[in-house]
Amino acid sequence: MPISAGSLPEVRPFGPLRGGAADAARSLVASARLAWAIEGNWAEPIYLAAFLIVRPLAFLGLFLAVLSIGGALNVATIGFVVIGQAVFQIVSAALEGPTHALLDDRERYRTIRYIFATPSSLLPVSIGRSLVKASIAGFSALIVIIAGMLLGVPMRAGGPDLLLFAAVLPLGLLSVVGLGIVLGGVCVQLRNDAWAYPQAVSSTVFLLCGAIFPLEVLPGPVQSIASALPITWWIEGLRRALLGTTSPGILGAMPTNELLLILAVGTAVIWLISPRLFVAGIDRAREKGYLDRNTAS
Amino acid sequence: MGSSVVGAEATALVARIHAETTWGFGRRMRNAFVSVLARAYPRVIGAAREPSWLFFDLVFPILGMCSIVFLLRSRGVDEAWIGSTILATALLSFWISVVWMMGAQFHWERDSGNLLLYITAPVGLGSIALGMAIGGALGVVIRAVIITAAGVLLFGAKYQVADPLLLALVILAGVAAMYSLGVCLSSVFLISGREADHLGSLLNEPMQLLGGVYAPVRSMGTAGVIALGILPLAPAIDALRQVAVPQLAATGFLPVGVELLILLVMTIIFGVIGRVLLAYIERVGRAGGKLLARAD
Repeated sequence: MPISAGSLPEVRPFGPLRGGAADAARSLVASARLAWAIEGNWAEPIYLAAFLIVRPLAFLGLFLAVLSIGGALNVATIGFVVIGQAVFQIVSAALEGPTHALLDDRERYRTIRYIFATPSSLLPVSIGRSLVKASIAGFSALIVIIAGMLLGVPMRAGGPDLLLFAAVLPLGLLSVVGLGIVLGGVCVQLRNDAWAYPQAVSSTVFLLCGAIFPLEVLPGPVQSIASALPITWWIEGLRRALLGTTSPGILGAMPTNELLLILAVGTAVIWLISPRLFVAGIDRAREKGYLDRNTAS
Repeated sequence: MGSSVVGAEATALVARIHAETTWGFGRRMRNAFVSVLARAYPRVIGAAREPSWLFFDLVFPILGMCSIVFLLRSRGVDEAWIGSTILATALLSFWISVVWMMGAQFHWERDSGNLLLYITAPVGLGSIALGMAIGGALGVVIRAVIITAAGVLLFGAKYQVADPLLLALVILAGVAAMYSLGVCLSSVFLISGREADHLGSLLNEPMQLLGGVYAPVRSMGTAGVIALGILPLAPAIDALRQVAVPQLAATGFLPVGVELLILLVMTIIFGVIGRVLLAYIERVGRAGGKLLARAD
């Protein structure tokens, strides 16, 4: 039977962005469910809860113990550290999530080739995995904030500024996930220690973003880099939404509407660039045969 | 039909097999010594051949150290605490090695298939663990020195060591106790399956807090007292702070001599427990077949 052009099935382009919006949405949901099964189902719920509670509280305790060397702590200082430490749980998970998901799929579960053989696309798969990791970290963040409240940190009178919170939270989360997928596209090229690079980036961002100390403590030129990071303003925005006060120094000097503008522009720029970099990275890795290798690192 | 061995020839053959398979004390010691050397070798030489490992082994502790130093400076504390933070970070690199390169090692070896080779080779897991500990400690020394030098250069820390021998003794005792605990942890990690990686994470920051790594152990209250008795990090860093940063000697929980004694006792007790645990795990693993199976 002759085949007419109209009866040909739709040809999907190869690469990490194939498929339509419906395929992408299905991939995102499926990868999110998979991520929950991997991240939230590795142990009995009691162990999982203990892990999610103990480590972030230990971090908080460590920082507060160090701060207490300088004398008695006031609640404003504790509040600054509590919100910074809490939000950074999410930053760290979202930054490292896409890379670890890609490397897990490539080397540990060896399923990345099967993802390519399905209508799924690596971009929504990576975003889905990252969002679930960030959500699980969000639970840890909540625990840290509750611990802060128990320590007497005064939250905003009348409850959180929900409008500001609703504007800042998704913008910041999107910017961090965007940076995370860029890291994923880069790290999949690496032979050695690909797992360690996102953690190195995350640790550097922690040092720069004013999570636990004011930016004024950093050397001059480093302060400029810190001020250019959307994550810095995300944490400050959430401090204002939850505590109802501004931080001391450079962070507090920024009016809230300008802070929102910086965050929005930063997030838009990141999302203009990051999918393209991710696609370019995955395409290159596919051409070079990096998607099917095991670095045993 | 093959030729059969009978009479005196058979007796001689049995005696020869017996002699070759029954090792005397001297031969067992030689074999253990060679096994320790063989396992320590890649820890020292192999690690030096992979520059990226050295890079990451230095980057993470230095970034962590910078965070704590800036936190201290934001509170305007005595600069002596900066020096203490740098030393604590250097000592912490041994602890991280103990958790990941001792505790988690057999777990990883099982997943990569090497544990099967260890079991089938004529070496004991105890010798392998001791080799990992000695090689690991030697490999980390250079990292600890670089971290200390970087801290001094970056933040201008100053030390006044009145008794270098005592300082060396404190470091040696602390490292020995930590690696001795690492032998125990290797058994725990081996039976913990998928939880192993998370267990490793739980042994980092919570132990840094309990061990008084960056703040005095006395600020931990009762938990600090317990940590001094079971966590080598606690007496090691407390003694190190007293010896190398005399301005902070008053923050010490116990006299240095007592802390040295605690570390010595820990080394012996953890070593014995670790040896017993490894033998038990090996026996149970062989019988149940789970020791050799991949965890995932």
